[in-house]
Amino acid sequence: MESGDAARPGSGQATGAPPPRLLLLPLLPLLLGRGLRVAAAASASSSGAAAEDSSAMEELATEKEAEESHRQDSVSLLTFILLLTLTILTIWLFKHRRVRFLHETGLAMIYGLIVGVILRYGIPATSGRDKSLSCTQEDRAFSTLLVNVSGKFFEYTLKGEISPGKINSVEQNDMLRKVTFDPEVFFNILLPPIIFHAGYSLKKRHFFRNLGSILAYAFLGTAVSCFIIGNLMYGVVKLMKIMGQLSDKFYYTDCLFFGAIISATDPVTVLAIFNELHADVDLYALLFGESVLNDAVAIVLSSSIVAYQPAGLNTHAFDAAAFFKSVGIFLGIFSGSFTMGAVTGVVTALVTKFTKLHCFPLLETALFFLMSWSTFLLAEACGFTGVVAVLFCGITQAHYTYNNLSVESRSRTKQLFEVLHFLAENFIFSYMGLALFTFQKHVFSPIFIIGAFVAIFLGRAAHIYPLSFFLNLGRRHKIGWNFQHMMMFSGLRGAMAFALAIRDTASYARQMMFTTTLLIVFFTVWIIGGGTTPMLSWLNIRVGVDPDQDPPPNNDSFQVLQGDGPDSARGNRTKQESAWIFRLWYSFDHNYLKPILTHSGPPLTTTLPAWCGLLARCLTSPQVYDNQEPLREEDSDFILTEGDLTLTYGDSTVTANGSSSSHTASTSLEGSRRTKSSSEEVLERDLGMGDQKVSSRGTRLVFPLEDNA
Amino acid sequence: MERQSRIMSEKDEYQFQHQGAVELLVFNFLLILTILTIWLFKNHRFRFLHETGGAMVYGLIMGLILRYATAPTDIESGTVYDCVKLTFSPSTLLVNITDQVYEYKYKREISQHNISPHQGNAILEKMTFDPEIFFNVLLPPIIFHAGYSLKKRHFFQNLGSILTYAFLGTAISCIVIGLIMYGFVKAMIHAGQLKNGDFHFTDCLFFGSLMSATDPVTVLAIFHELHVDLDLYTLLFGESVLNDAVAIVLTYSISIYSPKENPNAFDAAAFFQSVGNFLGIFAGSFAMGSAYAIITALLTKFTKLCEFPMLETGLFFLLSWSAFLSAEAAGLTGIVAVLFCGVTQAHYTYNNLSSDSKIRTKQLFEFMNFLAENVIFCYMGLALFTFQNHIFNAFFILGAFLAIFVARACNIYPLSFLLNLGRKQKIPWNFQHMMMFSGLRGAIAFALAIRNTESQPKQMMFTTTLLLVFFTVWVFGGGTTPMLTWLQIRVGVDLDENLKEDPSSQHQEANNLDKNTTKAESARLFRMWYGFDHKYLKPILTHSGPPLTTTLPEWCGPISRLLTSPQAYGEQLKDDDVECIVNQDELAIHYQEQASSPCSPPARLGLDQKASPQTPGKENIYEGDLGLGGYELKLEQTSGQSQLN
Repeated sequence: MESGDAARPGSGQATGAPPPRLLLLPLLPLLLGRGLRVAAAASASSSGAAAEDSSAMEELATEKEAEESHRQDSVSLLTFILLLTLTILTIWLFKHRRVRFLHETGLAMIYGLIVGVILRYGIPATSGRDKSLSCTQEDRAFSTLLVNVSGKFFEYTLKGEISPGKINSVEQNDMLRKVTFDPEVFFNILLPPIIFHAGYSLKKRHFFRNLGSILAYAFLGTAVSCFIIGNLMYGVVKLMKIMGQLSDKFYYTDCLFFGAIISATDPVTVLAIFNELHADVDLYALLFGESVLNDAVAIVLSSSIVAYQPAGLNTHAFDAAAFFKSVGIFLGIFSGSFTMGAVTGVVTALVTKFTKLHCFPLLETALFFLMSWSTFLLAEACGFTGVVAVLFCGITQAHYTYNNLSVESRSRTKQLFEVLHFLAENFIFSYMGLALFTFQKHVFSPIFIIGAFVAIFLGRAAHIYPLSFFLNLGRRHKIGWNFQHMMMFSGLRGAMAFALAIRDTASYARQMMFTTTLLIVFFTVWIIGGGTTPMLSWLNIRVGVDPDQDPPPNNDSFQVLQGDGPDSARGNRTKQESAWIFRLWYSFDHNYLKPILTHSGPPLTTTLPAWCGLLARCLTSPQVYDNQEPLREEDSDFILTEGDLTLTYGDSTVTANGSSSSHTASTSLEGSRRTKSSSEEVLERDLGMGDQKVSSRGTRLVFPLEDNA
Repeated sequence: MERQSRIMSEKDEYQFQHQGAVELLVFNFLLILTILTIWLFKNHRFRFLHETGGAMVYGLIMGLILRYATAPTDIESGTVYDCVKLTFSPSTLLVNITDQVYEYKYKREISQHNISPHQGNAILEKMTFDPEIFFNVLLPPIIFHAGYSLKKRHFFQNLGSILTYAFLGTAISCIVIGLIMYGFVKAMIHAGQLKNGDFHFTDCLFFGSLMSATDPVTVLAIFHELHVDLDLYTLLFGESVLNDAVAIVLTYSISIYSPKENPNAFDAAAFFQSVGNFLGIFAGSFAMGSAYAIITALLTKFTKLCEFPMLETGLFFLLSWSAFLSAEAAGLTGIVAVLFCGVTQAHYTYNNLSSDSKIRTKQLFEFMNFLAENVIFCYMGLALFTFQNHIFNAFFILGAFLAIFVARACNIYPLSFLLNLGRKQKIPWNFQHMMMFSGLRGAIAFALAIRNTESQPKQMMFTTTLLLVFFTVWVFGGGTTPMLTWLQIRVGVDLDENLKEDPSSQHQEANNLDKNTTKAESARLFRMWYGFDHKYLKPILTHSGPPLTTTLPEWCGPISRLLTSPQAYGEQLKDDDVECIVNQDELAIHYQEQASSPCSPPARLGLDQKASPQTPGKENIYEGDLGLGGYELKLEQTSGQSQLN
């Protein structure tokens, strides 16, 4: 058997044991199961007093050690927290002085690096009192171990597997080990809030308008990029083998795996700058949407590549059956996670719709949080990918549940996830900086690293330009060259690539990948992130799109319905853009899902066929009926509550709409009555622009109509 | 072969993940159910069962299902490995299994008779948290929130009484419970129900100290909803909050009290060591918590972080958490540090935050408090069935019930009598009865009891604590509303009345009168503290108060100029004070009209004071006012919130 393979089972288990414990912890990953301080001390006083002196002394020694370990845990966590504090203060300074070349995440990495250096070289190595014993009784590792030591029983839990060569290094530095987290922490604690926040704050209007393009970039693009990077890296690896630089096995599947993990782009730096400068909204939506879905695709892709196990003796030859099995796994996991996320989102929407929970914002927020978290857990429990499920849950929540929440809950949920997202993100980035020095199994291979840099640029280019070309064939509103260049440029790598890479660092190939990923993240975040502002001006991308023309891409991204300039033109564009299937979806969403799940939209009694009248009446909320008659008041209310920023831009919207043709107004009014089938299309197009737009259209256009008339 | 084992281990891994997710999912599900039920109750104004009680009921049901509906599975961990080479238990163990080295981490010691239950039910085992989770994850937000939302005005007005109840009262209660329980234990030994030598006097004291942590969250929620008399509310709330801190440190000190020879005999040296420990840990934690809060206050004062509410909230959260971690790292008690950190943050930092951040931090901690509290109560219900080492001892349980009532009585009545000697505004009998009645036990008692369940006495204590919590929360919590009417305690102190009652309402006379009460009530020590706080701490740490240049002596002019924020100079205090008072409250906007009128007197007084800063009398009035100032709005806010609710 190959040694590369031999290392893996262990790695599987090494990552396997901690999760249940880690999953338990929403907030404090480190302290779990480690602190024994007072508990141990208390047992010393009660039982130790009665026991013999000698054993009591030893026991005390163990307890001292446990206490010491708890303290060290606290210290290491404290290190991170102080790092974050420092980062926050520096960010403030930068924001205050309008320094844009270094983003907060870049800063967090720098601080992490500094602390990493200090920990690595500034702290004397301590040797742990680890003992190695040989046991013949068992042939596999158990999660807990009961050991009988001179009449006393001690319980031990499995922490991880150590490759035999590293035993010495394990004992080396206790502090370094303390600050090294279990990689599953990232997947179970830190990434979910980030991803959920991304889904929850997807700019709905622009997102849905560009849905086709975004999906194309995310799915096809990621696959293309993964494949190209994998192939290029395989070439590099072959080259290294010839040059004798490779000291261990590196298979084609490993290369593809590398391609998958490095395909997860995370242009958080670029997006933050766009946000600040109010760059073009379409570009923002394309980039953001791509990066969000990208992550989901990359996670599932990498796990299906890992699951690719050809049958037969040659484990690394191409095997059609295994390949299709992998594809099946990919599709299964993806759709399963999607369904899971969507279903819990829908359940939350229904619960918030049919209870009057909005009288108690705290309860509402808690319910929202718990349901969203349940999505993650449910998906993990069913063997799907929790992070992906959480993403789609976030999107569904934003699309439906958000409309049912009380005003206070809306701001609460948004702020809560914003804070969680902020903390988690900066935590990951500062951990990245730290990991460069504290991770003890780095494999620096210059050729591989250079190859990887070339590969990711080529992969990005092969992903953006051809796809944009194809998309432009179908799009009315073309993706301009400067947009394409900008998208090409924004291929930053971030938290997701890092988390995927650190998940498994057992084999030599994986360690090399990890090191390379880390360097790529550093490089892209610092250099490319820092170069965004110059790049924007160099590419002549419209900056400072002011709110009158286009809503600013604020981080509060729920302002969906500011009318922008020529409304009808936009509408047409959307219609053209979105393919048939999307239009179908819009109308379905508007006619059935929205009324069922929220208080808006036309009453179900009108949209559903006659024979399910009872059901329709049961599901339609009373508000909707009210909506129908006095469309104006109700709807204008809606506008005020739904767009966060609408209040400020309220008048500008009205004027914008006033300038638009009265034709739209009349058709949309007709549409809301749903008499003519031709007007239905117009209505759908409206929906495409923004879900709430339709409900608001009534008022917004009615006033100008009267003016015009 | 190799692949076989690999697949197997992957299966194993999957199993683990699966289990971890499932247990959490169960809790999530329970919490969601609880939330929906609470909503139903609140919607129908059904006050009989509080949310925590509901959470316990659901936990119980789930525990019952898990206990009796799941098939017992045997887990391999039951097998015990003997090692002759090992003479002690190291913290990490490297085990070499067929050329693979695995690392094991020390978890705990298991006493002999506990080994067999470990082989029982894997699911039950999984559903049992590590008790340290309570101390490291769940309790800190609860305690911090309590500190952060202490009603400041009334809290400071009753500070003396609260401190007396919290410190003396807890000590008395601990000793009384300990003595009574010792009597019961002796009786049980006599009756042959208990082996001699198992249960020491220190164990009884330990039980007493953990049982002294009252947690009348149910009662307080009802008070809040019904707008019960604020003094009573403050007394109860303040007592319960500080109580927890005292009980935790006391428990710790008792647990490390280890006499040299005979564990039953009194050892003066060990006793004084324990007392020293108590004082040291308490003072250390207090200092740590306040230090972090002061750092936060200074940071928020001297940076313009308020332009970015998110950063501000993040900083606030992180520094508060640091207080906990630093205290733990220094070997102090994190929870106590977090409590005082919360109090100090509310007193100083809160004034520096932007209004957005004020709301955000409040909401964030409210939310975390809510979740953590319900998780704990849910877990309590669950633990009654899933915890596998319960020892039900009817005699001990009865004794404990009796003991806590007696101890509560010994705590409240004599102390109230003593306090009434000094207080101008007496604590009336019905208040005393209500306080006696509100001796509920809750999260802290449970967490302290579950922390150590190794030995048999400890397990017995744990079971008893659990039952006590159930009983008090359900029966006392449910009986609060009838009790209130029976004791004729003023209910529905509504907003306007409150305002009038407030010292600084429209009437200057009432104003002065109340101020006098405060002044009279608070002893000299407290008045000194008020003065110091107002003249030095407030100006240094916040934007309010008189400029330091006027309060500090001449020779430290540069420092004072450096430390005073520019706002303090502006407008010579007049607008400033108003502003600060308005700032101090989140919902102030709604009550601005009311707020500005009570604020004008202090502003004028401030001017007077500026004219003759040496006049102590006037200063005192001013201080009294500040002691109250700003908090009055706070209660409006809360009542406003409750109206929203």
